[in-house]
Amino acid sequence: MIIIDENLCKGCHLCLFMCYKNVYAISPELNDKGVQLPFVKFEERCTKCGTCEVACPDQAITVDLPENWWMKEGNDVNFNPNFTKGKK
Amino acid sequence: MAEEKTNRFLPYLREDRLPHIFCPGCGNGAVMNAFLAAMEKAEMDFDNMTLVSGIGCSSRIPGYLKCDSLHTTHGRALSFATGLKIANKDLDVVVFSGDGDAASIGGNHLIHAARRNLNITMICINNNIYGMTGGQVSPTSPKGIVATTAPYGNYDTPFKLAELVAGAGASYSARWTTVEMENLVLSIKTALKNPGFSFVEVVTLCPTYFGRKNKLKTPTAMAAVMKANTVYKSAADRMSEKELKDKVVVGEFANKQRDELSEVLDKFSIDTYGKKTLINSAYETDF
Repeated sequence: MIIIDENLCKGCHLCLFMCYKNVYAISPELNDKGVQLPFVKFEERCTKCGTCEVACPDQAITVDLPENWWMKEGNDVNFNPNFTKGKK
Repeated sequence: MAEEKTNRFLPYLREDRLPHIFCPGCGNGAVMNAFLAAMEKAEMDFDNMTLVSGIGCSSRIPGYLKCDSLHTTHGRALSFATGLKIANKDLDVVVFSGDGDAASIGGNHLIHAARRNLNITMICINNNIYGMTGGQVSPTSPKGIVATTAPYGNYDTPFKLAELVAGAGASYSARWTTVEMENLVLSIKTALKNPGFSFVEVVTLCPTYFGRKNKLKTPTAMAAVMKANTVYKSAADRMSEKELKDKVVVGEFANKQRDELSEVLDKFSIDTYGKKTLINSAYETDF
């Protein structure tokens, strides 16, 4: 889940440029400050890499990462190399 | 949902001062995020950190962070940081500086800090122009750009800061841009952990003064041009001078260990006076 803070966003649209999967789109309406806010249009494409969170200059984007996102339930293979250390 | 998630960088920021004064699309906020992410990765103590800055747009970054900070005179941020680090060598001193601050008025401080190899980290945010005072030509402006004080184009050859500092003897020197976030975060993490003078130059966007005069009005257009002009150092070694025109060479330019100034001073004072530091002796009472 991706949250965009409307009070902090200044409308530079760098999130659209930086996102590798083209999750975002620009809204056609202006808000109270005269900013065309980005919004999340294709959330199913998001891989939760967190690049937009770091690249947003105004700290407006929050990507809701689950705590241990690399572990899927009922899945033996996990992708975090540190997690397998000392086990098996 | 159990609780509302907030941005991962907001706990480090003075939230009463947000939104900050940087223009839309300015890279300074992104560099602030990258620094905080790198600090989390390097597992450093945020309370033990002191940020020093000079004058400029980028030097406003320490004012937005919840830690000890020092806002100093123009170009002299490295001098203040040197005094701070020698007086209390347990602090982690990080200097934020712009290109006019580091290369133009503080140029001698920069090369001599690199020569002495004191254990501080410097993040130089290079936006190719004097952004705060209205878009004048700076020593790092590329050849041929139009600026307020160069209406017919800039004819000077720019400084290559990362190569300059590597040549002056810094133990870590790198250059990255704000469109390569992952490399920038890992580079700042290496710089924070490195014992010795560590220099990271970040080439960033200035859509308001650089982009508007050079037909790149939106931040997205500037970022696209910067991404297209970026060349890695390993590829740039095999390219000719003509091909490298108007390109930004990114990569690590120096990564070697050398004698560090505060340890040399400690060793000198133990050899000569038998005490660890000369500075703390002023507070002793049994004379």
